[in-house]
This record gives sequence, C-alpha cells and structure tokens, in this order.
Amino acid sequence: MTADQTTPEAPGPVVIEAESIVKRFGGATAVDDVSIAVRSGEIHGLVGENGAGKSTLMRILAGILTPDQGEVRVDGRPLTGGTRAALDAGIALVHQELSLVPELTTAENIMLGAFPTRLGFTNARQLRGVAATALREIGVSVDLDERVGRLSVALRQFVEIARAVARKPRVLILDEPTATLTPAETDYLLTMLQRLAEGGLAIIYISHRIPEIFRICDRVTVLRDGQLIGTTPIRATTPAALVDQMVGREYKLDLQIRRESTPGEVVLAARGVRAHRVHGVDLDVRAGEIVGLGGLVGAGRTELVRAMIGADIRTAGRVTVTAHGRTRSISSYQSAVRNGVAYVPEERRTDGLALTMSVAENIALPNRRRLATGGVLRRSRVSAFAQRLADSVGLRPPDIRKDAGDYSGGNQQKIVIAKWLGRNPKVIVLDEPTRGVDVGAKAEIHRLIRELADQGTAVLVVSSDLPELLELSDVIHVIRDGRIAGTLSGPEADERSVMSLAAGGGMVGKA
Amino acid sequence: MKRGTRPSGAQTLQWVSERGIFFFTAALVAFAALFIDNFVSIVNITDVFHRAAPIGIVAVGMTFVVISGNYLDLSVVAQVATAAVVLIAVSNSAGLGLAVLAALAIALLYGVVNGVAVGYLRANAVIVTLSTTFVGLGILRWLSGGSIFFGPPDGPIRALGQVKVVGLPLSALVLVVMTAALAFLLGRTNFGFLIRSFGSNRTATRLAGVDTSRVVVGAFLITSLSAMVAGFVLAAFSNTAVSTMAQGFDFGALAAIIIGGTSVFGGKGSVLRTLLGVIFVSVLTNILVLSKIGFGWQQMAIGALIVLAVSVDTLARKAARR
Repeated sequence: MTADQTTPEAPGPVVIEAESIVKRFGGATAVDDVSIAVRSGEIHGLVGENGAGKSTLMRILAGILTPDQGEVRVDGRPLTGGTRAALDAGIALVHQELSLVPELTTAENIMLGAFPTRLGFTNARQLRGVAATALREIGVSVDLDERVGRLSVALRQFVEIARAVARKPRVLILDEPTATLTPAETDYLLTMLQRLAEGGLAIIYISHRIPEIFRICDRVTVLRDGQLIGTTPIRATTPAALVDQMVGREYKLDLQIRRESTPGEVVLAARGVRAHRVHGVDLDVRAGEIVGLGGLVGAGRTELVRAMIGADIRTAGRVTVTAHGRTRSISSYQSAVRNGVAYVPEERRTDGLALTMSVAENIALPNRRRLATGGVLRRSRVSAFAQRLADSVGLRPPDIRKDAGDYSGGNQQKIVIAKWLGRNPKVIVLDEPTRGVDVGAKAEIHRLIRELADQGTAVLVVSSDLPELLELSDVIHVIRDGRIAGTLSGPEADERSVMSLAAGGGMVGKA
Repeated sequence: MKRGTRPSGAQTLQWVSERGIFFFTAALVAFAALFIDNFVSIVNITDVFHRAAPIGIVAVGMTFVVISGNYLDLSVVAQVATAAVVLIAVSNSAGLGLAVLAALAIALLYGVVNGVAVGYLRANAVIVTLSTTFVGLGILRWLSGGSIFFGPPDGPIRALGQVKVVGLPLSALVLVVMTAALAFLLGRTNFGFLIRSFGSNRTATRLAGVDTSRVVVGAFLITSLSAMVAGFVLAAFSNTAVSTMAQGFDFGALAAIIIGGTSVFGGKGSVLRTLLGVIFVSVLTNILVLSKIGFGWQQMAIGALIVLAVSVDTLARKAARR
C-alpha cells in the first residue's frame, strides 16, 4: 500500500496540512517524517497501535508541541506560535483525557478561557447564550447551570466537544472520543460528526475501533512506530487490510522463544468479577502458567486485575487463591498479599516504589516481618537479604544503599520485582512490566517472569506491547469494554487476531 | 557523594538540606559562646534547657506525624495543657497515680481520635487537629473554669521539678531520653520503617500489603504520648497548670522540626534533626534575649527561618527530581 494523498475524495480544499513532521523525545522518535492533509468537509481517520505516534502528531497540529522538523500549514500559511495561534487559526483538539473543571457549570466549562467580559466583569448572559448555541449546534441538551462533576461521562464528553465547537473551529480533532461511551452514545456522536462535516468542518478522528472508522471516515491514515504507512480512501480498503497495515510485520509466534509449560492446578480463580469498567469476568491462572491480558488502553485490563486482587473496590464476584491445598478468598488487598499475591503496578514511580528511600528499604518493605526480631529490624539481615535479591534480578549498579529514585526505569522495575521475589509469591500480577524500559532490561525482566513461572508461580501479565504479550503468554485473554472478548492460545494467537478482537472488528480471516 | 568539580547550585542546596542543620547548630553555639556575654553560665544554660525541654519533647514526638506526610498535629496545644492541668488538679484531689493514669487515658484518646480521622477517614490533618484543639481546649476551660491550679509546695511534682542531674534540670534529661527512644523507634523498628515508607510514598506502601491506616494512627499516638510527657514536665517546672500554658507549642514544635531539616513533604527526616532544630531555635532565641532584642523581633526571626528552611527543602527536592 502506498501513500495516496492526492485522491480527491473529499469535496473541499485542503484546510490543514502537516509536512514531513519529525518529533523526538529524548532518544526516541515519536513521529518520524509524517505528512498529512485534511480537507474541508472531510472526516479523516487516524489509526495505529498504542504508541504509534497519533496523539503526538495531533498535539503538534494543535500547537501544544513544537515539531523538531517539518511544518504545519493552515490555508497554506505556516502555523507558529503555540496553542494560542492554533486556536486563532481555528484548530480545536478534544483531548483523550477529559479536561473539564468539575466544579464549574456546563456553560462555564464550554466558555472556559474565552469568557465574554464587559468592563472586566464576566458577561453572564452572553456566556450562557454562546454556550447554549454551541450545545444546540451539536444537538445535545444539557443543563447549562449544572456542575460538570455531576454529569455522566458521556455528557461530559459532549460538553467537551461543545467547548471545541463554541470556538467556531475549522479543524476539529478528536482523540478516541468513544472510548468511554456506550454503543447508543457512540452512534449519536458519529451521526453528529457527520453532520458537522457536511457543514464544512474538517475533522480528524482518532480511534482504535475499526467499525467506526469505516462508518464515518472519508479517508484513513495509518501510523506505525511513528512512521506514515499510508493514507487511503476508505472505499479502497477493508478492515482486514487496515489491521494488517497497523500491525505491519507479519509477526508469527516464534515457538523457539516460547516456554515448555506444563501448567498445574488453578491457583488464582476469579468468578463474575465486576468493578468500575469491568463487567463480569471469569478468569483462571494455573501454577506455572503465564496468562496474558491484551486489549486497548482503556479496555479495563488494569481495572480488572486491580479489582481481582482487591487493590480497587470490587462490586461483585469472588476471587480465590489456592496454595498448599487450601483455598482462600481474597476480600481485601492485604488478604491478597497475605495469601501470596504479588503486584507489580503499571505506574512504578508513583505506585511501585518509595523513590526517596534506598533500594534496600524498598526491598525490605513487604518482607519486613521476616527481617525483624521483636519488631526491631536487623540492619545486617536487611542488607544481606536486599543484596541477594538485587543481584538475582540483575540490578545495575547493584548498590542497595542508593535511593530507588536514582535508578533508571528498567532498574526500578527490577527493584519492584525483587521486593516481591523475597516473598516467594504464589501469584504475581504484572501490569505493563516493561513500559518505558530499554531493550536489555526488557529481556531481563522477561527472563525473570519466565523463571517465576518455571518455579510454579501463577503469572498474570497485562501488556499493550503485542510482541511481548505473544512472546510471554501461554494463553491470551483479549479484554474489550470490561469483558473477555476472546481467548487465544498457541498458533492462533498472533498480532492480527489480538488486534481485531481488541478493536472489535470481529475475527479477521487469516491471510 | 563524591564530587571532583565545583558543586552546582543544586548540589549546594542538597548539602544544606541534608547536612546544614548539623553545621549551623554547631556554628550558632560557637558564635554564642564566643561573642555573647553571659551565654556560657550555669544559670543561662539551665534556663535554655528549661525553656527548650517541653517544646522539644513535643517536637520529637510530632516528628512522626510530619515524616508520615501528615503535616502536623495542632492539637498539641490542647494536649500539653490538658496533661499539665490533669496532673496537678487530679493529684491534688485523688493522688499522683490516678492523675498519671487519667492523663494517659486522655492522651490515648487524642491519638486515636486524630489518627482515625486522618488515617481511616482520610481527613486533612490540619483541619482535624485544628478541630480537636478547639474541642479539647473548650472542654478543659469548661471543667477547669479557666483557673490556675497549684501543686502543694512540698508535693512530689514540685520535688521532681527541682531534681538536677549533672547540674542540668530533670526536664533536659527527659528530652534526651525521649529523643533517644524515639530515634530508635523511628530508625530501627518496623513501625518506624513503615512511618518513613508511608511518608515517602503512601500508595507504594499500601500496595506492599501494609495496613497504612494503622500506621497513621500510630504516628498520632506517638505525638500524643509525647505531648503528655511535655505537659508533665511543664507542670513540674512551675508546680502550676492552666489551660493557656501551651500556647504556641504547635508552631514552636513545627519550627524546630522544619528547621531541623525534616521535610514537610514527608518521608525524609529524623528525630535527632528535630533535637538539633530545638537547640538551634532555643539558642537563637536566647541570643536575642541576651542581646535585649524584643519578642516581636524574635518571632520574626523564627518565622523567616521557617520560610528559609521550607524553601531549601522544596528547591532541593526540585533539583533532585531533574
């Protein structure tokens, strides 16, 4: 598939174009020589895996980030001067994370940053008037004086769009607006966008959901690893072809890498788990088995594992841990830890480590009871214990007196794993274990996870890194909208099958 | 930390934040000894310790709350006064033993109420302890009628207040013993470890399987017990007690903790630092008094020092984060 930007699919002239955009963060290139052009009246889809560079590119278009190379042009004129200039040029970005102020009213939020004033005082009547017009334009009825914090997530999403529309934009960028919406709300939103486009607005629509792209977009651009794979008229492509473009490399499971696993008894069992964003999940993890949870960001994977082990509130369901022939119910996070559950959280800096404390102290934390006599910590025992574990996970440099915050991301993750290894866990839950970790440390963390499984630990891994998920897991459950959308194992698990389950495109026929 | 080159601004800040108090306290004492008339005299040194001990005992205890990342316990003002009044008033009518037991029960109640509100209900420590201050002082004034209580001139409390150990008042010895005991508790035991860990990162500590609410209750209990001891020392010193006698103890203790270099963000600090902070503030105040500089100026100096100490702490943190 080649780049095809000249096909006159959409009626209007080009409103916004980005040419040869390059953006680097530190050593990593997030956007690598990408060009895109969007016409008036066009809905332009933008797709790619997590981390493909979609959000970065959109933040550049909206003036939030400055490109290292390349140029953004609106009506042929170069755009410089940051967010303000982009707003003035008529570019409105609806963020992935909602950016409303919960304490303010609907009207105030819609007009935030553009309050009409008279003699320095807010002109309340005009404020409500403009806000009401914007809401009418998108066809949504919301109480103007209601505090936004009391609105449903869906209504907040619509208020956010009204806020963009109130500024009379020429380009509207939406970053996964349907991630938190129900099917009916999604349907409404898509119809609304089509109507806005008919009025001449240029819309850039980012979504992981392939059916939505095919329903409303005129053209679609695919990014992968920061690079432009191509722009295609929607009529000239198929869902299967699009997924292939997103995934790229025909990644086949390398059976050499996979472990010989002979799973034992079920150790971690979840039945009917419900929680925020989790809508009834049954899940088993056996001794010596690595179970992977795939899916899109926001699908509810983190929420699921946290609800299972009691780190967050579970509204329904039962979770048990079986060890030494005894089955114990997990009622709280503390009971989970007591019964041999270890948890490596997604955010290691904020949730996994006390950064201002030493490596030794971090490793000692969950093991403090066995390192103390009568409540008094034995320093020599603590340092010998911590040193042994730091060495076993390959911490570099292996200086346990240094603060955990002085180490790189990969080493910090090793410290988090080391502190749990000391407890010989029966179950270990790892959420994005190698995010932001360099290649060498990633391989070592994979080795540690495999060793744990080989020793009979039940392993549950959440990962958005598809090659990692495929490489590590014996079984993959793909989560979508808080449910298991499908379960894959052996040769049927490949990037395409995982992605199509995750994106809700249904099973895509194998090429 | 080894450095070959000239230290940068950030490194200087970190040095001041980490080691500064040891150096500054030594320098201040040396300065006073060399240049301030009457500083080195039995009478003056005894006086410095007499004034420093009660507030110092409160400060070493409150260090636990500050390190746990819960800012401070304002209610020590009510707790110290209550312990002093109960000690003298109850022992006058029912004997010393019962007075101590009553004060202990009240201290535990304060610690549990503050600790449960902050630890289990997740309320803001400043608001909670401000409320318990008002309630506590209100009850104390109501029950005591605002009157001053005097111990019998030949009673045991009076006697304890007069005891001298190696020329220094007993209160100074109590301060030293409390510091040593609490330093051990904070630095060497599992309980102290959890206080520091919670202050450094409460989420990570919870996710290590720790019952963090109980840790918070523990921090407030330590503070309350210290405030009780401080109340006893204060009552013994003058053989009198009144509901207003601990005014300013809240910020006085916080000043010593912060100037000692314990971080208001939690996680970093020590009991020994607080002791140095107490000595620093007391000696500085003494210098100003001996130099006949008014009380207003003393307050301004302490206030400015707190701002300086907090700024150094904040800037050093920002520098370290880069």
